[in-house]
Amino acid sequence: MATTTAAITLTSADLLTDALSLSATKTLHKAGSTVGLDQTTGMTKAYLTAVTQVDIFPTLIEGSLAFKNKTSWVYICNESEDETEYAIVKLSGNVIGKLYGGDFLWMPWSMAEDADADNKHADIQLTPSVATGMWFTWCCVNEGTEYPTSV
Amino acid sequence: MATITAQLTVNSDISSYGGPSISKTMTMTKAATNNGLERTSGIQRKYLTAANEVDLIQGAAGVVADMTVSATASAAKIYIKYIESDTSKYVTLSLGNASTGSSLTANDSNGAHMELGRLYGDDWMIIPWDGTSATGDICVLPNEATTAAPAIIEYIVFFD
Repeated sequence: MATTTAAITLTSADLLTDALSLSATKTLHKAGSTVGLDQTTGMTKAYLTAVTQVDIFPTLIEGSLAFKNKTSWVYICNESEDETEYAIVKLSGNVIGKLYGGDFLWMPWSMAEDADADNKHADIQLTPSVATGMWFTWCCVNEGTEYPTSV
Repeated sequence: MATITAQLTVNSDISSYGGPSISKTMTMTKAATNNGLERTSGIQRKYLTAANEVDLIQGAAGVVADMTVSATASAAKIYIKYIESDTSKYVTLSLGNASTGSSLTANDSNGAHMELGRLYGDDWMIIPWDGTSATGDICVLPNEATTAAPAIIEYIVFFD
């Protein structure tokens, strides 16, 4: 059984009158169990050169029955060193937020069915702010991978 | 100007080639600057005593006091943790309008509601947050919650 552990530490010495220090660690399990997640897309490193919205996990069938009630975790990092460069992160058209240079996110992903007929499913979408080239890294750790049928 | 850092570490042996592993530190800054975020909701705890979908964090003129994010310049971050030792229990997080009932609002890619993911017991997440309209609300639906055994959610918002 594979073991994946995720840990976060949030700190600030000067945000409040007293120091902020918050830590959490969790072993990632399959949904509702204590069995470790055992599949991953691997870490992608991508250089995006257009301000075009892209689906960053196109090989996974979002919203398919294979993923129903399964657990997936997503990491995305804007590796740009320019603080003015950002990427808008959306979930099936709904804005989550902006990742500025150096920002990352770590979140669960349901790949939930979308009742709308526009075929966005539960895509995780990334739109760079500039077309001069921005580096990103992203990864999905999950269970129950299903790949699209080849045409 | 404050300095707030988030350090993420992920270690895994899923791949026989190693990893995926992540070690990344983020210093939270205001939009498009190197100036640190300096406002926060503080660490909040919400006790949910019914299995209904409700707003956990409201955008726009919501529950985060003094919050003035904008659609063009928001660098807000949210950390959320489900405080629960039973890893079979979960809460479902969504973006948009809460149903206030026991079922999620229907997912709609045109902006009204979209299910993000589930936090099982002791899971946590950190995301950037737009938070500029009702469709940016963070909604939560526990699969189990009663007065005697509430679902406890801990969160903190850092914002411009």
